[in-house]
This record gives sequence, structure tokens and C-alpha cells, in this order.
Amino acid sequence: MAEHATHDQHAEVHESHGTGFYWMVGAILAIITTIEVAIFLVKDAIGNELFLVILFVLSIAKGAGVVMFFMHLRGDARIFQFVFIVPLIFAVTMCLGFLTIFSNHVGIAG
Amino acid sequence: MAIAEHKLTSVSPATAYSGSFPWRTWLATVDHKKIGIIYIVSAFVFFLLGGIEAMLMRVQLGTPNNTFLSADVYNQLFTMHATTMIFLMIMPMNVGIGNYVVPLMIGARDMAFPRLNAMSIWLFLGGGLLLYMSFLTGGAPNGGWFAYAPLTQVQYSPTAGMDYWILGLGLTGIASIAGALNFIVTVLNMRAPGMSINRMPLFVWMNLVVSFLIIFAFPTFTVGSIELLFDRQFGGAFFNPAQGGDAMRWQHLFWFFGHPEVYILILPVMGMISEILPVFSRKPIFGYSFVAFSGVGIGFLGFIVWAHHMFGVGMGPMANAFFAAASMVIAIPTGVKIFNWIATMWAGDVRLTTAMLYAIGFISMFIIGGISGITLASPPIDLQQTDSYYVVAHLHYVLFGGSILGLFAGGYYWFPKMTGRMLNERIGKIQFWIMLISFNVTFFPMHFVGTEGMPRRIYTYEAGMGWDMWNFVETVGSFFLAFSILVFIYNVIISLRSGEVASNDPWDAATLEWTIPSPPPSYNFLHIPVVNSRRPLWDAKYPHAAGDDHHGESSAPSLVRYEYTDEDTAGAKEIHMPSLTFSPMILSGGLTIAALGFIYINKDILGLPTRMAALGFILIGIVMVSVAIRGWIVDSRKDSPYLGQHH
Amino acid sequence: MSATSHAHHDEAGQAPLVGSLGVDSRKLGLWAFIGSETLFFTALITTHLIFYARTKAELTASGMFAHLDPKHFLGINLTSVLAAILLASSLTMVLALAASKAKEWQKFRFWLLATIILGSSFVLGQAYEFTHLYEEGLKLAPQFVFEGETVKSLFGVTFFTMTGFHGLHVTLGVVWLIAVYFKVRKFAASPENPMDVELVGLYWHFVDLVWVAIFTLIYLI
Repeated sequence: MAEHATHDQHAEVHESHGTGFYWMVGAILAIITTIEVAIFLVKDAIGNELFLVILFVLSIAKGAGVVMFFMHLRGDARIFQFVFIVPLIFAVTMCLGFLTIFSNHVGIAG
Repeated sequence: MAIAEHKLTSVSPATAYSGSFPWRTWLATVDHKKIGIIYIVSAFVFFLLGGIEAMLMRVQLGTPNNTFLSADVYNQLFTMHATTMIFLMIMPMNVGIGNYVVPLMIGARDMAFPRLNAMSIWLFLGGGLLLYMSFLTGGAPNGGWFAYAPLTQVQYSPTAGMDYWILGLGLTGIASIAGALNFIVTVLNMRAPGMSINRMPLFVWMNLVVSFLIIFAFPTFTVGSIELLFDRQFGGAFFNPAQGGDAMRWQHLFWFFGHPEVYILILPVMGMISEILPVFSRKPIFGYSFVAFSGVGIGFLGFIVWAHHMFGVGMGPMANAFFAAASMVIAIPTGVKIFNWIATMWAGDVRLTTAMLYAIGFISMFIIGGISGITLASPPIDLQQTDSYYVVAHLHYVLFGGSILGLFAGGYYWFPKMTGRMLNERIGKIQFWIMLISFNVTFFPMHFVGTEGMPRRIYTYEAGMGWDMWNFVETVGSFFLAFSILVFIYNVIISLRSGEVASNDPWDAATLEWTIPSPPPSYNFLHIPVVNSRRPLWDAKYPHAAGDDHHGESSAPSLVRYEYTDEDTAGAKEIHMPSLTFSPMILSGGLTIAALGFIYINKDILGLPTRMAALGFILIGIVMVSVAIRGWIVDSRKDSPYLGQHH
Repeated sequence: MSATSHAHHDEAGQAPLVGSLGVDSRKLGLWAFIGSETLFFTALITTHLIFYARTKAELTASGMFAHLDPKHFLGINLTSVLAAILLASSLTMVLALAASKAKEWQKFRFWLLATIILGSSFVLGQAYEFTHLYEEGLKLAPQFVFEGETVKSLFGVTFFTMTGFHGLHVTLGVVWLIAVYFKVRKFAASPENPMDVELVGLYWHFVDLVWVAIFTLIYLI
């Protein structure tokens, strides 16, 4: 039964954010979105490569913010992280794999 | 001491067949055991249908230039045979046995979501019936179970058959995902105290792995079939190269699902074998962790080998090399399992019951299928054999010789628990030998005709190609195979009527389901067992042998007891089980009717009236779903654990 | 979390909602479902990316890409507004959850209603976008018409399929939110309310998350 008790406490940890924290996260996500749109508008000035790098970093940060703080995955029971992150890795791998297979790269797509 | 009485028979054998059949308690049931039995019975009916389709094909192929079937009917039959056997037979049979046994094995009173469980069974049946309706409405699907594009486009498959295929499998797909989520939560979150992950029976382990495979693999199939549906209904051209689509994408999407799917078919059966072999060898499973983790390994590797089904399409040397190597790696965890099974029997006190014979038959036939599989994993050899009868031989050795022999092993093993009666062992052994020999007579020659160049999926062939004799032999073998199924049905009928009454623990087994009566009462366990080893019942019966293979785990005496309970046992009334509800069935019926309407929403048959009827069906379906959701919420409130606290 | 405190009242391991893993069964099931949905949307997005790359390659080869890029259909203004709406709804959702845990039902109703209104606005905005695109010449068909020229491309098919299924998920999410709103209103004292809110919240944030991906991968790149 000791095993159960520790899990229970573990599941409790994440419940401590105040509403001010959520407002702050929301504000940061809004700022990120604004920057994304802004760099989209000046895409030609900063060059496509830099644009893509910044965009990916910002989007990943935004997605991670939603998952970690709004969905409380950070600090929540590890099984939730497992059943979400494992398929997420599968999904990203599948996406990259399919994009490679359907690219016109000679020798892979033939 | 209760242990000493273990030969005592339970007092309540199956009574379902006396008097009028209690329809309501079955149709509105949320009991995992009843749902499991509905799964098993319906999967068996689909097994017979798929078998009849196979027999028709074998008659057609028995002699050259045969005109018994037309090419079109033959296409429908091989498509429906494979679709039935995979989606409507082996999968639901696995789910059915799992549904019945898994909660018992982990010491739970039901699945985590009983109403969702009921929805799964009715949705599966709805999907299966929808699929079979296509025979009556202008033609069954005829594009193969792999449904390769562009054969499935409207211009090549103009009947509504493929639409039935897409939506029928869509419904069973929802059922599978809902069922898999249910299994995941049940196994992870409903275990009895002390039943830690590394004490779970291997059948439970494999069901957990397979449930993850289902929720990871089905989405790509869903996307693929939705895209195909858009192609056929709305002119989408996803898979139509003539209009800018890509037929190869279907193959990739399909096999990204399709290869994990074959492990979805085999892994639960491997779990059953891992339960049966130790019991009838009177030894613990050899290398528990290796068997468990090689199952996980097979499941994981299953996701990176999909394109070995596609060597024939010319993907280029890089892709071929990668997928060939990954496929061969799968032989390692599979081999680990096989060696562990053999080592389990080694020096054991082997009892050759029917279940054990089937389990050994499984291992032997699966090894043959596995070896032909390794040859197919090599692109140069595959290019010779692909689309030939060699592949048909291979897949039947792993799916029939593997999954179905294993399911018979599971069937003979758990039949007493489910019905309270033993299957007749003498008839069972006769049936086993007829089936094993006729299976080999039917499928082994396919290696020969395949190597000699006979393509698969052809409806007839010229005489004098060197295939005549073996095809005739295969057809004769298939009749004996069909006969062995009839023997099994006979065995089930006489055993249900007058078979030996089963005790709690007729096999002298080790896991929790054998501590409770056969068949178990609706609440399963009067007292939730407390588990302190991998073989709780065995350790209770044989305390002097407890502790072996437990690797330093405490060898404290097991606390589990036989329970001789029924519905009237004192205390049983206080156990709250979820109440009967028709809502899951109404919801599934609504979705099925809406799917039927959707098939005809854009069809140019009889013009406007058809479309109006189709629209009407969709509306009726939506209304039924809405009513059912409301009823579902109301019914679930009845069983809310909090209800007593705020009233 | 109210569910936890009940765990010890029942037979160990068979507590109604919190089980052998110490988590809520429904929440575990929903997270696993979200994992499955991740693969579903990834397959749809991948489809779109593959075919867009193909259209791009063909148009570039004929020197028409700059002129006929189907991305010209997708206006950044409306999409940014939609992204902002969905993001804001995620914020109101998490505030509704916090209020439900604090048993501040007045606040809870306010934030949940705000989420419902924002979600509905998103659906309406997407409906507007779809009709707009349809009139401009982007249809569920393997070609699009741009500035009088017909281009063979699956852009419309893949775009509408992907965003359509996302819109369907948002719509179902709104229905679920409304159901929770009325359920909590009817059974205000029920201890399982925060979990009901948390579950619909998880689903809602996931739908937002998918839009984060679509916004970046489809609209911006």
C-alpha cells in the first residue's frame, strides 16, 4: 500500500498554481503568437532559414507552454506523460519519415 | 483450509440454456464477462462466414479453368475472407477472451469503463453487419483487405462495396480504440493490491502492449480510409495519380497501420500460450521478464518495418535496406519468446491436454511461418516471392497456425471458467489432430505452388502449369479443415449440455481467475484478493514450492483463497455493480445507421429519393446518438460513487 | 483533488475513481485518447505537407510558384484572429478549472461561458473562412482556380480535410463544454465536478495545441 500512497501524493503536486500564474502564461503565449505573426510579415527581410528556425522554436515553446501549464502535464503523474509523449514521438517520427519517403530524394524515394 | 478442498466442484454450472433466454440481461449488460462472451460468439460466427468464403475459393481453385465462381465474385470473396478473419474474427476473439479474462486475472470486478465496453461490442457488431450488408446491396468490397489504390477508386470499383468496407471498418475501428483505451486503464489502474506491473500474468502484459499498438496504429488507418472515402464520395483524388494524388501514399498509410495490426493479432495469443504452457508443464514460465519485454520489443519494432510489405513497388535501395534490416531484427524478440516457451516445457511434468496440444501446435506452426517470414524480409528473395502463393502460405502459417491454433488453446483452457463445463477432451484431441494435419495439407503445398510462380488473388489458372496437383490437394485439405471446425462445434454443444462440471480450478493453475467459481458470479471476487507473488494461487496451494522464480521477492505465504460464492452469497448484495443500460447499444446503432446513410449520400442511384433516404438515415442516427448520450449520462449517475454523499 | 480522499474508504485498489496507479481512471483514459488523436492529426497534417511540397515543386519548375502559390488563399489576418481566439479560450478554460477547484462557482460559470463563446466564435470564424475560400476558388477538388488560372493541385482537398476535422473536434468540444456547464449547474454539490471540468479542459487544450501546429505548419511556413 505504500506504493499507492506515494502515487497519490505525487498526483497532488501540480495543483498549486494561482490564477495569476495562468494569466502570465497566457500573456507569454500571446506575445509568442504576436512575434510569430510579426516575423511572418518581415519574412523576406530576415531570410527564409532564420524565419523557419525562429518560427519552430517559438511554436515548440508555445505548444510546450500549453501542455505543461494549461494541461498541467508538468509535475503530473508520470503515466500521463508516458501516454502522451510516446505517441508524440511516434507522430513526429512518422511525419519526418513520410516526408523523407515522399521527398524526391534519389535513393530513398527511388 | 480452503486449499485442501480444491477438487470440490462449484455449485452453479451454466444455466443460461435452461428456460427462456434472459435477453434483457444480455443486451443491456455492462458485465465484462457477458460482453466477452458476446464478442467470442459473434467472432465465431464471423469465423464461420469467413471460412465459408475460403471454402468457396478453394472449390474454385481445386481444378484448373474452373468456372464455379466468376472473377468478380472471387475478388469479393478474397477481400471479405481476409477482412472478416482479421477484423471480425481474430481481433474480436482476442478482445473477447481478454475482456473475460483480464479483469479476473488482475483481481478486478469489471473493466474500468463498463458502459464504454458495452459500446465497443455493439459498435463492433454494427460494423461487421454493415460490412456484410454489402453482399445484399449490389456487391461486397472487392479491392482486397489492403485496398490498394487506385483499385479502390470509383472508376475501378463502382459498386458501393468499398464504401461499406471503409465505414464498416471505421465503426469497428472506433470500437477497437475505445476497447484499447479501456484495457489500458483497466490494466494500469484496476489491479488488486499487490498486483504490481511485474507480477501481472503475461496474458495481461500482452493485452496492455496490444492496446497501445491499437491506439498508436489505428489513427493512420482512420486517416487513410477517411481520405479514401473523400476520394470516392467527394472527388478528392488523394490516391488517384491521374488527378495529382499518390497511390503509394495509401500503401504507406495502410501498412503503417497494417504491420502493427499483425502483432495486434498475434501478441494476445502469445500471451495465452505463456499462460497455458506453465500450467500444463507444472513449472513457472521460463524468463518471465524476457517474455514480457520481448512482447514490448516486438510491439515497438512493429512500427518501423511497415514497408517490408512494399518491396515489390520499388522504393529504392536505402529504404529497402532499412526496412529489411528492421524486419529481421524482429526475429530476435520472437525467438526469445519461442526459446522461453520451449524452456518452460523442458523437464516439466507435461500434461498433454487439448489446450496444451494446441499450444504446442501453435509454437511449431508459428516457427514455420516465422522462418518463411525471414525469407520474405530479404528484398531479393521477396521480389521473387511477392504476390505469389508463397506469401499466402506464410501468412496462413502465422495467422492460422499461429493466432487461430493459439485461440483454440485459449478456448479449451478458459471454456470451463466461462461456462462451468469442461470441453470433451477426447473429442478435443481428435479435433486437434484433424485440424493440425489438414491445416498443413491445405497450406504447406502453397509454398511449392508459390515458388513455382502461382500468383495470389487469381480466380483461375491454366492446366499444365505444374500447379494442378497441389491445388487439388489443398482443396481436399481445406475440406478436412472445415470438418475439424464442425467437430469443435459438436464438442461445444455436447459439452454445454452434458460436459463434466468444472470446479473453480480444473487445471491446477496459478492465476487469480481460477480462485473463483466457474462461471464467476457477476461481481467476480467477493473479497478483492491481495497478491504477493506472480503465481498467487499456485503459491497458496503449494507453499513449500513458493518463492521459486520470484527472484528475492518475499516468499510469504500467499493470501488468496478459493471462493465458493454466487449471487446470493452473504455480502454479495452490498457489492455495487453498474446497472443495466441500453444506451451504449442505442449509441452504436445510431452510428451504424448514420454510417449506412453516409454511404449513399452522394451516390447516383435512383437520384433524389436515395439521397433523401440517406439524409434521413443520418438524421435518425444523430437523434439516436443524442438520445443515447443523454441516457448514458443519466445511467452513469445512477452508479456514481458520489451519489450517496450529496443526497 | 476530491477523488483522492475517497480512495481509502473503499477496498484498497478498488476505489471508484482512483485506482492501483493512483490516478483517476477517466483522466488516464483521456490522456491515452489524446495520445491517439496526436497521431491522427499528424497523419492529416503530413498529408497536407506532402502534397503542398509537390504542388510547390511543380509550380516552381514551371516558374509560376511566386504567382500561383496556393498559400495566397490563406489570409494571415483572419487566421491570426482565430489563433488568438483559441489561445484565449485555453486561458479562460484553465481559469474555469481553477475556479471549480476553489469552488468559486460564480467565477467558474463566467470563465466556462467565456470558453464556450470563444470556442463558438472560432467555429463561426472557420465557417466564414471556408465559405470565403470556396468563393475565391479553393474547393474540395484536385485543382484550384487562382486569378483565372486553373492549377492541378490537391491543396484544397488536403487543406479542407485537415482543418475540417480540426473544426469538427472544436465543435464537439463546444458541445462537451455546454454539457459540463449544465451538469455542474444541476449538480453543484457533486464532488466530481472539478474532474469533469478538468477532463473537458484537457480535451480543449489539446484542440488548441493542434491549432498551434496547424497555424505554424500550414499558415505561416
